[in-house]
Amino acid sequence: MSAIQSAFPGAVLESRVESDRRLWITVDPKRLVEITQFLRDKKDFDHYSGAAGVDRINENLFEVVEILTSHGAHQVVVLMKVKVPRDKPSVRSLTGLYWNANWYEREIWEMFGINFEGHPELYPLLLPDELVGYWPWRKDFKGYPDTTTGERAIEQVGPDGYTEFKIMPHTELIKAGVLPERPKYPTFREREEAEIKSDSEMIMHMGPQHAIVPGPFLLDLLIEGERVKKAFLDVGYIHKGIEKIMENRTYLQGIVYTDRMCYLASITNNEAYCGAVERLLGITPPERAQYIRVILAELSRIQSHLLGTGEFLTLLGAATYSPFQYMIIDREDIVYLMESITGARITHTFVRFGGVRNDLPDGFADKARPILKRMRERTEEYMDLLHSDPIYTRRMRGIGVLSPGDARRLGVSGPPLRASDTPYDMRREDPILVYPDLDFKVVTRKAGDAEARVEVRLEEILESIHIIEQCLDQIPDGPIQEKLPKKIKPEPGEAYYRVEDPRGEMGIYVVSDGSEKPYRVKVRGPVYAYMQALPPLLEGAYVADVVAIAGSMDACTSEVDR
Amino acid sequence: MGISDVIPVPVAIDEEIEKWTIWGRPVMDVWFTTTEKIHQIIQMGPIKNVLNWGRKNSLWFLMQPMGCCGVEMLVFGCPHYDCDRFGIIPRATPRQADVMIISGYITRKYLPAIKNLWEQMLEPKWCIAVGECAISGGPFYDSYNIIQNTSDFFPIDVYVPGCPPRPEQFIKGFVELQEKIKQRKDKRGY
Amino acid sequence: MYLSTIIETVSAWAAQEPKIYALAIGLIGAAIISAVINIGAMAVVWLERKFLGDIQARFGPNRVGSRWGLLQLGADAIKLFTKEDSIPRGADKPVYVWAPIIASITTMLVAAAIPFGALRIDGKDYPLVVANMDISAFYVEAALSIMTIAVFMAGFSSNNKYSMLGAFRGIARMIAYEVPMGVCVIAVALMAHSLNLVEIVESQTLWYAFAQPLGFIIFTIALVTDLGRIPFDQSEAEEEIIAGYTTEYGGIRWGLLYFQEYINMLLGSILLVLLFLGGWNGPSIPVITVLSPMVWFLMKVLIVLIFLIWVRGSLVRFRIDQVTDLGWKWMLPLSLVNLAWAAFVGLYFA
Repeated sequence: MSAIQSAFPGAVLESRVESDRRLWITVDPKRLVEITQFLRDKKDFDHYSGAAGVDRINENLFEVVEILTSHGAHQVVVLMKVKVPRDKPSVRSLTGLYWNANWYEREIWEMFGINFEGHPELYPLLLPDELVGYWPWRKDFKGYPDTTTGERAIEQVGPDGYTEFKIMPHTELIKAGVLPERPKYPTFREREEAEIKSDSEMIMHMGPQHAIVPGPFLLDLLIEGERVKKAFLDVGYIHKGIEKIMENRTYLQGIVYTDRMCYLASITNNEAYCGAVERLLGITPPERAQYIRVILAELSRIQSHLLGTGEFLTLLGAATYSPFQYMIIDREDIVYLMESITGARITHTFVRFGGVRNDLPDGFADKARPILKRMRERTEEYMDLLHSDPIYTRRMRGIGVLSPGDARRLGVSGPPLRASDTPYDMRREDPILVYPDLDFKVVTRKAGDAEARVEVRLEEILESIHIIEQCLDQIPDGPIQEKLPKKIKPEPGEAYYRVEDPRGEMGIYVVSDGSEKPYRVKVRGPVYAYMQALPPLLEGAYVADVVAIAGSMDACTSEVDR
Repeated sequence: MGISDVIPVPVAIDEEIEKWTIWGRPVMDVWFTTTEKIHQIIQMGPIKNVLNWGRKNSLWFLMQPMGCCGVEMLVFGCPHYDCDRFGIIPRATPRQADVMIISGYITRKYLPAIKNLWEQMLEPKWCIAVGECAISGGPFYDSYNIIQNTSDFFPIDVYVPGCPPRPEQFIKGFVELQEKIKQRKDKRGY
Repeated sequence: MYLSTIIETVSAWAAQEPKIYALAIGLIGAAIISAVINIGAMAVVWLERKFLGDIQARFGPNRVGSRWGLLQLGADAIKLFTKEDSIPRGADKPVYVWAPIIASITTMLVAAAIPFGALRIDGKDYPLVVANMDISAFYVEAALSIMTIAVFMAGFSSNNKYSMLGAFRGIARMIAYEVPMGVCVIAVALMAHSLNLVEIVESQTLWYAFAQPLGFIIFTIALVTDLGRIPFDQSEAEEEIIAGYTTEYGGIRWGLLYFQEYINMLLGSILLVLLFLGGWNGPSIPVITVLSPMVWFLMKVLIVLIFLIWVRGSLVRFRIDQVTDLGWKWMLPLSLVNLAWAAFVGLYFA
């Protein structure tokens, strides 16, 4: 902190040291790039973790919060704020310093209308073209005039007898002044078609409905024969605007939405949100509740990894590939265990501020131990199987290689990063709950290819089983919930909380203005970073490897789109 | 230019056949009136029951996971719940599917795509809305990007409630659809 | 014997009226064969769904037609027959229409020359074959690969990029594996001193699977490739290119294409049994002496079919470049080695 102040006198307008891991600073917008460069080069802040926009409508300001941290050199997270006036918002882009700032800035642009100077491709990311220009996450957004449904959607019968479904553009309404003018930019289709250079190349659309995708997204490949020359990615097909919806719900209701962000990791999402609100409230959950949370988080990790690996295997063989089915059988066991605690199969809404919803059922430990034991045997068997399958290893070895440097630069986290020889795990970097008391190792691999990613996942299942068994041994008796007022009203302030999702670094940034509802919630999801890193990874691959690489990343579209 | 322009394939019949006549009337007219008549007879008689028996026992659905329900859809096809018992199997291409499962929120961006998928499916086809989001927008009912009135766009036969519904409920939904087909009460009247 | 008198009468008549006899026997044979292969293929589809279910700890169809799901295929067929008929916009219409028909013609062509077992009368095996050609081994192997032309037609005419890729993959794969397959057939013919399938079976006192194990392995792999099954189903890789060349096919057109694959699977496994596993050779079974070759034959075919299904349930698929790699760099040289081996051993024994 003092290093920044001495290096840039006058640039830091405000600062606050929350703990030895959180540093909040507000800097002069004009010197943002210089300060970031200083932090990156001199202070090892080599991980651009995300950016959030906040609409301070009362102060007539926009805030852009840049979240910077380091891949293991130290554990400090810097949240660097820039304040710009509301009428002509413009911030210098950080894409020159961090490659992965690209998507975060695009998102802030399309949602808030904050311009980023020097951004190479300021196109909408999540929103459909017709919504761009309304800036839906601004506080004065009054709702979109609902002209999509009803008469604008028409079915046209063409001259050749085929029916075509179209949503008519609302040019007339724009001309009449009912709707505001939209910004000009080339559409996604035009952008990708501009890249076709010769007759032998064509664009193949994978998606939005395609067998590879766990949810709808559009992956367009510019291919020549079987080689991918360039990949284009379009997400946002299931963009629900969760962050905006959460601003209109009370704190407690918000937990429900974190479930639906990534339905395979709903416990860790709950955890991230509740943890952030707990920081705002200044409470810590009782120890027993912490243990229960850890147990559930690890169970959720196991089932997510099993499903992820299984789904990935179906991409290599067909759905008839039996190990996939066996993994689903095993996953059902874990899901039953979770169901016995929370009462739900995948959307749990279980974690509460300062505790958990209910206690473990009677005899849970006795029920869980044999299942975990069997899981361990089965997982070892899978590792053996995949390791000894010559076709599998031929397909996967050396495919989609991410070198450690590249992986860090692209901003991925979780298993793909750890497969690239970087022991970066939130449970170690930013310990929460009772993780410091538990013994586990961070699984890493050297190769960085698709095979290594799957291996990391399978081995993490073993680690998770180990953690759960420790928890079952150590769990103390006691209360499971802190006393809280009925209406939760945190003091005005902000908190950033990170957990290790099954897929990587999940951070939630909550701003409170002292009312019953959060002022702003920003989700920094791991899959967002994977997806951003996908197109460069796919260049030069075969079409058949595209599914292998995309599958080995274990994407979850719902979290990207939110 | 296609292959048929280079190599003469023995079906350039389409234009040819329109010139043919039978009993002084164009062949095509006779053919189509008879097929219509056959269809009418089939509609009334017990043959229809046989056809519907075949259709209801072979409902192939389009693999199209969209949200939380997509995960349960995947599990629905796997050993514990095994949709293959009922003759229900997932297909990757809309051309070979009979049932579209709308398994989540339809957004403004996705609506044209999903509607195209629906158009690409061949008749007879049915549509099942699974989960609160597909029925009414669910927890996202007031989002700026979600379309609530799914039934305006798709003739939905069965609504499966739940957020997300359990795989058993998927089976239940399909059994309801089978019953509807058997009793000829589905929306599109097969 | 009663049977032998019938045979004598028929052959006497055949000597009198050879042309009418040939026509009549051809028509009857065609009718029988189309019935046999279609029913056989239906059994194969049923077997696959049930056995694959078993491998994956599922039940497979068990609601329609008793707990064995026997009528499941009937329901599927009714549904496919009554589906809407569609030809995509921009498709090459005649080619699109003819692709499934050519696929069916192919299977009939193959089936005509294949012996479907034999009957043992008075200690002599009478093969059940419609066209007993002199070069039937080679003919069958070549005709099986016409299926790839149907695949290419289907994929090319659909006006769909996935189909197109599927078609190209199908052709690349076929070219890479047809050669080693043919060389394996030549090796078998060298040992048997004949290209006639019946004579090849009769000459197998020692199964050729043991006489030339290398050839057997190569032929099996090439056969799986020819049938387009996992791990060689790149042309319809469901997770990569939707449904490959059948992406735009629906209803009964797709049903035909799909069904031909299973007929081909049946015919392919019969070919494998005939060439390498001693066909219907086997000791006589006491009570049903007449049928004993049939029993051996069907048992072998069933084992091969189950093997094929098992492979499908337990392997992942190759990438297309690895497939062609394997074909040209390993299969072809090894099949030539096998040819040399066959020539050497054949000369030594002959």
